[in-house]
Amino acid sequence: MTFKKLFSLLCVVICQLILAQNDSIVSLNEVVISDLQLKKYSNSQNTLNLSDSLLSKNQPSLTSVLNHNSTIYFKENGFGMVSSPSFRGTTAQQTAVVWNGININSQLNGQTDFNTISTKNFDNIIVRAGGGSAIYGSSAIGGSIHLNNDLSFKDLFQNDLQINKGSFNTLGIHYDVKVGNKKFSSQFGFSLNSSDNDYLYVKKFDWKGNQLKNLNGEFLNTDYNVNFGYKLDNRNIIKLYSQTSVSDRNFSLITVSDTKTKYINTFNRNLLDYFGNFKSFSINFKTAYLFEDYKYFVDFDNNYFSQGSSESLIAKLDVGFSPIKSLQLNTVFDYNQTSGYGASFGSNKREISSIGLFAKHELTKKWLNEFVIRKEITNNYQSPTLFSIGSVYTFNTFYSLKINGSRNFRIPTFNDLYWQNGGNLNLKPESSYQAEIGNVFKYRKFNLSQTFYFIKIDDLIRWVPNATGLWSPVNTAKVYTYGSESILNSEYKIGKNNISFNATYAYTVSKNLENNKQLFFVPFNKLTISVGYSVKKFAFYYQFLYNGFVFTRSDNDPSEVIEAYKISNIGLDYDFKFLKSSKFGFEIRNILNQKYQSVEDRPMPGRNFNMYIILKF
Amino acid sequence: MKITKLFVVALASIFLTTSCSNDYESPVQATLGAYENGLFILNEGSSGQGSVSFLSNDLNSFTQNAFTTANPGELMGKFAQSIFFNGDFAYIISNGSNKISIVNRYTMKLVSKIETGLVIPRYGVVFNGKAYVTNANTYSFANPTTGNTDDFLSVINLTTNTIEAKVQLNATADKIVVNNGKLYISEQYNNDKLLVFNTVNNVLETPINIGSDANSMEVNNGFLYVLRSPYGLPSKLVKINLATSLFTTLDFPAAQVDAKNLDIEQSKIYYTIGASVYAMNLTDNAVPSASVFSYTSTSAYGKMYGFAVKGDRVYIGDGGDFTANSKAYVYSLTGVLQKELTVGVAPNGFYFN
Repeated sequence: MTFKKLFSLLCVVICQLILAQNDSIVSLNEVVISDLQLKKYSNSQNTLNLSDSLLSKNQPSLTSVLNHNSTIYFKENGFGMVSSPSFRGTTAQQTAVVWNGININSQLNGQTDFNTISTKNFDNIIVRAGGGSAIYGSSAIGGSIHLNNDLSFKDLFQNDLQINKGSFNTLGIHYDVKVGNKKFSSQFGFSLNSSDNDYLYVKKFDWKGNQLKNLNGEFLNTDYNVNFGYKLDNRNIIKLYSQTSVSDRNFSLITVSDTKTKYINTFNRNLLDYFGNFKSFSINFKTAYLFEDYKYFVDFDNNYFSQGSSESLIAKLDVGFSPIKSLQLNTVFDYNQTSGYGASFGSNKREISSIGLFAKHELTKKWLNEFVIRKEITNNYQSPTLFSIGSVYTFNTFYSLKINGSRNFRIPTFNDLYWQNGGNLNLKPESSYQAEIGNVFKYRKFNLSQTFYFIKIDDLIRWVPNATGLWSPVNTAKVYTYGSESILNSEYKIGKNNISFNATYAYTVSKNLENNKQLFFVPFNKLTISVGYSVKKFAFYYQFLYNGFVFTRSDNDPSEVIEAYKISNIGLDYDFKFLKSSKFGFEIRNILNQKYQSVEDRPMPGRNFNMYIILKF
Repeated sequence: MKITKLFVVALASIFLTTSCSNDYESPVQATLGAYENGLFILNEGSSGQGSVSFLSNDLNSFTQNAFTTANPGELMGKFAQSIFFNGDFAYIISNGSNKISIVNRYTMKLVSKIETGLVIPRYGVVFNGKAYVTNANTYSFANPTTGNTDDFLSVINLTTNTIEAKVQLNATADKIVVNNGKLYISEQYNNDKLLVFNTVNNVLETPINIGSDANSMEVNNGFLYVLRSPYGLPSKLVKINLATSLFTTLDFPAAQVDAKNLDIEQSKIYYTIGASVYAMNLTDNAVPSASVFSYTSTSAYGKMYGFAVKGDRVYIGDGGDFTANSKAYVYSLTGVLQKELTVGVAPNGFYFN
């Protein structure tokens, strides 16, 4: 009750602040996003938009959302544990995660652990397949994942509360409030996910016949988001985004006598964003401060841990120019300064500046071309000239063709460069060329996109033991990865019945040119299907995931594989029509109680249950 | 809590050892099990679990994963370090899982496990009904205060297969040998002394100052031979008279650096440098300048990852890239290849059954 009062009070204060200046005509869009390049320069590649209604129907972690709704393959060390993606057959460091337009992959290890990101506080998540380093920088080789907070400039006071409770004492609390008017927009989000995560291993027993279960797997992840936007006038807008999250996870044991370990990751991300729109000119200036910290407890019973952190300051100036309506030009200056501190890699700083030129031209209404070129300047490594060039031709309302070629890279991380002992200061970035052809078919509410791609990756950084037994990173392998991705979305309305059908399928060959073998932990096949059906106040969904087998040895030993698995989830909810919307739902995950794992000796949960309430008011 | 656990383990192991011995006493069979006549190759494992391969003495029968074959679904543990034998049993030490798996050495069937009380166990020896296992405990990178002084010995009662005592060594400890009731313990990276433990009165005696970088050692006829391998410098061979604790040191030529894998067989000392095998007589006063033979390896760190000489054969394990199944080779004493095998990841030792 006091809680509600507090908010109405806050609202009143804010409204008064804003009313005083509410005199200009608003010419900027009603919904504003920070990642401006995403819409402008992703025409010749495929993007998959995961809306907030889809996000609310999935488990909160980014791993679960993408595993069930995209072509990205995940390797998870047991449920909720360290999770690394492989997009288009590439490594975990070759997928970029972009938060409101800022690349947030760890500066320390170059990747994002997808189980440290809760999806509940984002308005949408966009999966952009294929090379994007010219726009998003390091790691955007396989593709990039864009986490977006939209700011809505309209009169609103909207609350969204989700609570879920499930097997293994799993609890989720997600609250999101949006307050805004034509001049001002704000969002506050809180998300908590915790679980004892002590699930039984399906059909797994020790030698005495005792049922085995997941030990030391408990986790608690919390996440806060605060976002503000303010329109100075009808041409100028200032936005502030801030996110803080703490992921506190014990790591599952493989066998009962293993030493107990644990990871605590803390992230703080802040972004100040100015956007000015002046007829044919636009200016976007972003400054960001990113902080990450990890504490790895190698022996948490004895409280022995190692720690590392990094701080990044980013400034980005994007000047847009559109002399004619069909031509868009952008010049982007970028400066990034990162300091890393840690017992294992000392204290180091690196500075990267870059300049990028972006162009998009609609030659005719049917033919669009885009071109991006970017060059980085840094003392730390030799940086290749990155580019992306693409073209879209719309033959008719049913069919369009996309072609894109790009050069992308993944820069050496602080661990790669400075790890003591073993770090290698002479590393080159991993570099890659990529080409793709996409076919897009549209018929009413039926969309099918089909892409063939080919990626050549050189100088893959790999940690190998050197002559002294010290593990050290070297630029070694060359990889060809090629395959196809198909994404199908469709929706039908028959009377009061709504039916949706979404599917993704990826065929991936990722060949290590040293031995001509498939890279280990890259499946040849992955399929996801989700079907939704709603009538009146009932909504039902079914999710299906097929993950093909993967090799676990670089020599592709056929006896050392992770078997293929098929997972089905179902859910049903009922809207009581109390408040704006109040749904009560029930889900059964892994309904067929499949025994499966994505990493050797890391079984995943069997059949489990989840109940949820979603209130909107 | 701990006592009840130990009691249960003890009870279980007694029950299982008896039931197992019954298993192979009742049927009238010529052999004690499939793995009676041959050797085990211990594979450390990398991202996956450790494993044990078996090769018969006639080189014709090979099982890549004998432990899993005998114990389906059972995980042997991470980073299989070493094996020691006692009677009908083999004790497989997995340092990454703080575990010893006790199996019947002829069938590989699990009979018991020691899963509590060990902290990064490394090597073990048996003397007078007891096993003595070194434990690395914490490392100095995680625990700078006591990481290099907290290593200990676990004393295992071999009748009950339970740990009955823990001996703090106040130093780092790794390899261990036994002679006349005394244990000699070395460690390559943080210890320049040879620790001496008397099992009769359970007392740590004055250590022997042999110098740092003890890579490998073996007792022969009252003498302990220790191969010291300071990184990038000429290696040294230390010969200790165990009756007097006096020792002599033999310096290697300047070019012979990073020797490892000392193994004494039929009055000859064998060791390796890079991918080459060297041999010298126990009585020689200088190390040989030329190797006996070399094998081809593309591995940066995994050359001679495992090495042993037994009878008229030389056994070599090659770590490869540590992400694929590795190779093991059997050579004659003169370097004629007799067998090449695909074993598990990182074969680090050969144990003769």
